Amino acid sequence: MVATAGKATGVDGQLFKRALLGSLNWLAANHEEVNRLNVFPVPDGDTGTNMLLTLQSAVEDVKESNAAEVSKIAKLASHGSLMGARGNSGVILSQIFRGFARAVEGKSSLTPAELAAGFEEAANAAYRAVNKPTEGTILTVAREAGRAAATAAANPDANVPRVIAAAAAGARAAVLKTPSQLQILRDAGVVDAGGFGLQLILEGMLKTVEESEPALAPVRSISPASQVSLTLPEGGWGYCTEFLIEGNNLDTDLIRSQIESLGNSVLVVGEPELVKVHVHTDDPTSVINLAGGYGRLLKLNVGDMSTQHRRILETEGVAPDARPPRPTGPGLAAVVAGRGLVDIFRGLGVDAIIEGGQTMNPSTQDMLTAIESVPYDEVILLPNNGNVVAAAKQVVGLTKKKVHLVETHSVPQGVSAVVAFRPERSGEENLRAMRAEAERVQTIEVTHAVRDTRSNGVKVRKGDVIGLINDRLEIAGHDYSQVIKDALGKLGPDAYELVTVYRGEQASDDELARLESEIRSNYPSLEVEVQQGGQQHYPFILSVE
Amino acid sequence: MKRSFAVVTDSTADLPDDWRDRYDIQVVPLKVLFGTETFRDRVDMTDEQFFRRLATSTTLPTTSAPSPGEFAEVYQRLARDHDGCISIHIGAQLSATAEAARVGASSVDGFKVNVVDSQTVSMPIAFLCRIAAECQSLDDATAAVEQRVAKCRVLALLDTLRYLEMGGRLSRAQAMIGTMLDLKPLLLVADREIKPVDRVRTRARAISRMVEFFNRELPVEHMAVMHAQAPDEAERVAAQLRSELPDREVTVGQIGCVLGTHTGPKAMGIVYLKK
Repeated sequence: MVATAGKATGVDGQLFKRALLGSLNWLAANHEEVNRLNVFPVPDGDTGTNMLLTLQSAVEDVKESNAAEVSKIAKLASHGSLMGARGNSGVILSQIFRGFARAVEGKSSLTPAELAAGFEEAANAAYRAVNKPTEGTILTVAREAGRAAATAAANPDANVPRVIAAAAAGARAAVLKTPSQLQILRDAGVVDAGGFGLQLILEGMLKTVEESEPALAPVRSISPASQVSLTLPEGGWGYCTEFLIEGNNLDTDLIRSQIESLGNSVLVVGEPELVKVHVHTDDPTSVINLAGGYGRLLKLNVGDMSTQHRRILETEGVAPDARPPRPTGPGLAAVVAGRGLVDIFRGLGVDAIIEGGQTMNPSTQDMLTAIESVPYDEVILLPNNGNVVAAAKQVVGLTKKKVHLVETHSVPQGVSAVVAFRPERSGEENLRAMRAEAERVQTIEVTHAVRDTRSNGVKVRKGDVIGLINDRLEIAGHDYSQVIKDALGKLGPDAYELVTVYRGEQASDDELARLESEIRSNYPSLEVEVQQGGQQHYPFILSVE
Repeated sequence: MKRSFAVVTDSTADLPDDWRDRYDIQVVPLKVLFGTETFRDRVDMTDEQFFRRLATSTTLPTTSAPSPGEFAEVYQRLARDHDGCISIHIGAQLSATAEAARVGASSVDGFKVNVVDSQTVSMPIAFLCRIAAECQSLDDATAAVEQRVAKCRVLALLDTLRYLEMGGRLSRAQAMIGTMLDLKPLLLVADREIKPVDRVRTRARAISRMVEFFNRELPVEHMAVMHAQAPDEAERVAAQLRSELPDREVTVGQIGCVLGTHTGPKAMGIVYLKK
C-alpha cells in the first residue's frame, strides 16, 4: 500500500469542513442547471435552489467551528441542514447529513472504510425518512454512491480521495440511469435534478480533497455540469423577456393585448405608474420597442430559453401538434382559414383542420379526408362559415364514423363551440353544450363591398367598408373603427362583457390600435382581447359575448 | 376545559385569525421567496403586501415548505404541555410540507405527532383543524380527520392559468386548456389531482358556472368562498350560497401569499367537504 502524505489519510473535522465548503461552491456554481432539470415530484424548477439553500444552512453552522473531530462537524452540518431544509430534495439532503452524522458518531477521524460506511448509512437514513421511496431519484443516487464508495474502500489501495472519487463516479453513473427508472424524466428528456445535485455535492468534495492531495493518481476530471442536452427545435425556443415600464396612466390591458401579438406566456400586471411585463417571444427587440413607447424601461432581462431545459414544457404546450392524444373520443374537426385562427383552433383541442372558408369553400371530400384522419370513431364537425354548412351536411352519411354537425356560421361561433367542448363528455352532451354556446355569441364581420348594392335597407357602394352582424349586412361606411363602433352600438354593448378582435391579414397596426382605443373609449365596460387571426378578406372579425 | 392534544397546521390552510385563537390551533408558515428575499407567509408579509409586490416584482416569486427543523421546534414546544398532536397539512402532491412535518416529528422523542396529508389546500384544511379541535382525544381527532380527507374539494376559478403553469403545478396537457385565448379555467382539486372541469370565455359566466358546479356537489358538510383580491365578487357568491342554503354557515376567506403565488390575483374558489 502506498502511503499517502497529507491530511487525506483520514477525514478529520477540518477536512470534512473544507470538503463541505467545496461542495457548497460547486453546487452554487451549478445550481441553475439543477433547477432546469427539475420535473419531479413537483416541476417547479427550484430543486437546485432548495438544495443550495439547505447546504448553505448546513455550512453556516460548520463554518465557525474549529472542531478537530469529524463527528462534531458532521453533527453541526446535520443540525444546520435540518433547520434550513427546503423542498423535497432539501429535506432528503438533510436526512443524508443526519445519517452520516449518526454513522460517524464519536469518531475523531475516518478511515476510508469508515467514510464509505458513512456514505452508505447516509443513503439508508434517507430511504428511511421518505414515506414512499421512489427509484430514479436522489435516493437511488445516494445509494449507488454509497455502494461505489464501499467497493473502493475494500480495495487494498484504498485511500480517502479514491473513496470520494468512487462515490462521485457512482453518483454520476446513477444519475445517467435515472431516466430509465422514472417515466416522467424519460418523457421530459432529463436526468433527475435532485440526484444531479447530490452528484455535484460529491464532486465538490472531491475537488477539495484532490487539491489537498495533488500528487494523487488522476481521477477522471469532473465534467461540466450540463450533461443533458436536448435537441433544439428549429429556430430555438425564443427568449424569456422581462422588464418594468415606468410611466403615467399606463393601461395594462392595452399593453397586454399588444404584447400578446408578439409572444406567449404573457404576463402584464401592475399599476398605472409601474407595469411588469413577462413574455416568451422570438422577437424581443419588437417587444422592447413597443414597450419603450409607453415609458421608461427598468430591470430589463432577456434570457435565451434554448439553454433552459425546463422551458421545453411551456413551448411544447404552444406548438400546435404537441398535444398528447386523448384516450377516447369524440374528436373534433373544423373548417378554418388563416394561420392565427388555425393555431387558435388547434390550441383549443381540434384534432383535424380543413383549410377553407368564405371564398375557398372546402369540398365534401376535403372534409371527409380530415374526418377519417381523426383517431376516434365519433367526430364533431364545425363548418364555421354559412357557405360551408351545406357541404358539411353531406359528410355525415359518407363515412362509417359517427359524425355530428354543429352548424357554426362564423369563426366566433366556432371558437365558442370548441371552448365548450370537454373530451370526457359524450358526443351528445358535447353537442348540446356546444350548440348552446355557439348561439350565445354575436358575430361582427367587417369587409369591403365588392359591388354596389342595397341590402337589408343599407345602401352600399363598391369599395365601402361593410359590417355584418350575424351574417346580415347592417352597416356601411368608410372606416373600420366607425363601422365596428356602430355595429357594437346596434348590439347594445351593455348586455355583453367581452369583445374578441380577430385581426385579419389586411388590417394594419394603426387600424388595429385605432379600433382598440375606439372600443375602449366608447364602451368602457367591455373587455377587449386581440387575437392574430390572419384571415383573408375580413380585416376584422369580432366576437361579442 | 383544556384539550390534552395540540392541533397544528400550516399557513396554506388559510385559517381565519379568530378560528386560530378560538380553537387554539398552531400555524407553521410556508415561505414566499422574491429572488433571495424570504418572507414567512402571513408573518413577515400580509396578503395585501404580497399581491402589491407580485404586481411590480420583475421575477415571479417562488414558494417553499417549512423545514423539518422548524416543525421540530414547534413540536418540542408543544410537548411541554400536551400529550400529543395532530398536524394537518397541504397535500403532498402540491408541497413538501407534510414530508417536512413527518421528518421534523421523528426528531422529537417521546411526543406523539399524527401527521395528516390532507390531499387538499386552503380552507378545507382549516375545517379539518376545527373538527380535530372539537374532538376529545388525539385518536378521535385523527380518525375524524382522516375519514374526511378524501371528501375535501377546492373548486377554483383562476383569472389566468399562467401563474399555476409557471409554478409547475399544472401538467402540460392540462395547461392546454389555457393556450392562445384568454380562457377562464375552472379547476377542481380532488383525488390528489388538479383537474380542469370547465373553461369559459368571460369571468361573469365563469362565476355562475362555478356556482352551478357547486350546486351539483350538494350536500356538503362545510363550505367557504375564497378569494385573492376579489372581495366584492366573493361576497356576492357567498350571499347567493346563503340564500340557497339559508341555515348554513358560509365563511368568506382570503387566499394567502403562498397559495397566491400559484393562483395569481383575482382567483376565486368555493371550497367544501362533501357529505
